[in-house]
Amino acid sequence: MIRTTALVGLVLLLSGCAAPTVAPAPVPPVSSPGPVAPAPATTRNDIPIRTTEPRAMEAPVPPVRVRVPGVEVDVEVIPVGVRADSFMELPDYVGTAGWYRYGSGPTSDEGTTVIAAHVDSLEWGLGPFARLRDLPFGAEVLVTTQDGVEHRYLVESVVNLRKEELPVGEIFARTGPERLVLITCGGRFDREALRYSDNVLVTAVPVQ
Amino acid sequence: MRYTLIAGTAAGIIAAGAMAIPASAISPSSADLYVLHAVPDTPVDVYVNGERTLDDFQPGDLAGPLDLPAGTYTVAITAADAADASSPVIGPIDLPLEANRSYTAVAHLGADGTPGANLFPNDVSNTAAGQGRLTVRHVAAAPAVDILAGGQAVVSGLANPDEAVLNLPASTVSAAVALAGTTEPVIGPADVAVTEGTNTIVYAWGSAEAGNLDLAVQTIEGLHSAPGGVNSGQAGLAADPDPAAAGWTAAAALVLVLAAGSVFALVRRQPVRSR
Repeated sequence: MIRTTALVGLVLLLSGCAAPTVAPAPVPPVSSPGPVAPAPATTRNDIPIRTTEPRAMEAPVPPVRVRVPGVEVDVEVIPVGVRADSFMELPDYVGTAGWYRYGSGPTSDEGTTVIAAHVDSLEWGLGPFARLRDLPFGAEVLVTTQDGVEHRYLVESVVNLRKEELPVGEIFARTGPERLVLITCGGRFDREALRYSDNVLVTAVPVQ
Repeated sequence: MRYTLIAGTAAGIIAAGAMAIPASAISPSSADLYVLHAVPDTPVDVYVNGERTLDDFQPGDLAGPLDLPAGTYTVAITAADAADASSPVIGPIDLPLEANRSYTAVAHLGADGTPGANLFPNDVSNTAAGQGRLTVRHVAAAPAVDILAGGQAVVSGLANPDEAVLNLPASTVSAAVALAGTTEPVIGPADVAVTEGTNTIVYAWGSAEAGNLDLAVQTIEGLHSAPGGVNSGQAGLAADPDPAAAGWTAAAALVLVLAAGSVFALVRRQPVRSR
């Protein structure tokens, strides 16, 4: 059997998804929760000390919209979590994308913002994310967060990966370089399981 | 005067960088140690292996993590104005720290109000995607308690110095502490964030008799797991041609047409029924 990789544009940036090569500016240490008390006057002032008051949950500012002008994608984004089977939850409607709310967001200092949408559905047909595989290297992706700020990214790679081989640990990384990964389905379709063989991943890196 | 305990650090402390390291993989040769001061009212100094490590450490404060080579550390806790560790108010006690583990040493009151110290290993194993971990520790001068979440007892009969560990879907829990077998809160209710991928450790501390029972919260982040995958299509309309199944596109389209047709049929029938 032939394994198809529907890569349009630059075909061979496979490594881009697993090991991004564009590094953003140096990143400060991960969020230090809560206020930090003044350092002790003497002894070891390199020991972090914090208060233990209960705090509200900290979370990135949610993205609410993603636009990819080159392929006329302009969809609403809502926060999503995981399903009972541990897969990422997705909005049913093909014209709405889901942002993995436990991971990084466009306002995070590091890690990957993951936004995914169904490529099609029995009810609504093909969705806008079906056009992502046509994206060329360098295409612009714009993500608007709830605070109204627009975050600009440039496509670094578009790849098909077999679902069984999806490097979820790297894709959903919460540390490391800031990047955006758009995910949908592709490859061959199993008509009995109603399931695609592959995920299509668009990896984009932030630009000012 | 009530004094307290605390644990500290020894030679070779590397504090700052440790926070960014996933807690589930600390180091094959060292341990993470946090120190919580949970004896009310009394600032203290903490000596580790005879060296003053935490100075004027305040009740309710948490120090760490300290990245310490595996081994046994002797900790003494003195009044904040002590000149040295010769007259501890708690200890000296020995803390045996195993490599690649996380601990919190807690200076706290026993159930009878006597100050002491305990070393709690922290569960830093990975959490399932979408879940957080809630650890509850009873370190208060108080009888056994029930932990209530949303008014329901989720932990029953927790006694000083025991703990309970729960893995829960990430959410904010309205938590309260009641004497065992009762539902009238003696602490809280307070909103506790059970953050995804984080061990949120809640301490009930203070003294029931003195009326200063309270909650202290410690969090250990970076325990998350990634989702199992992403299934993001169901109709086959975006599929690549399959050489083994010519005509699949038409079949997929037919499925879609049929699905759309049945929706249409339902829609048309409904008004008839409603008459």
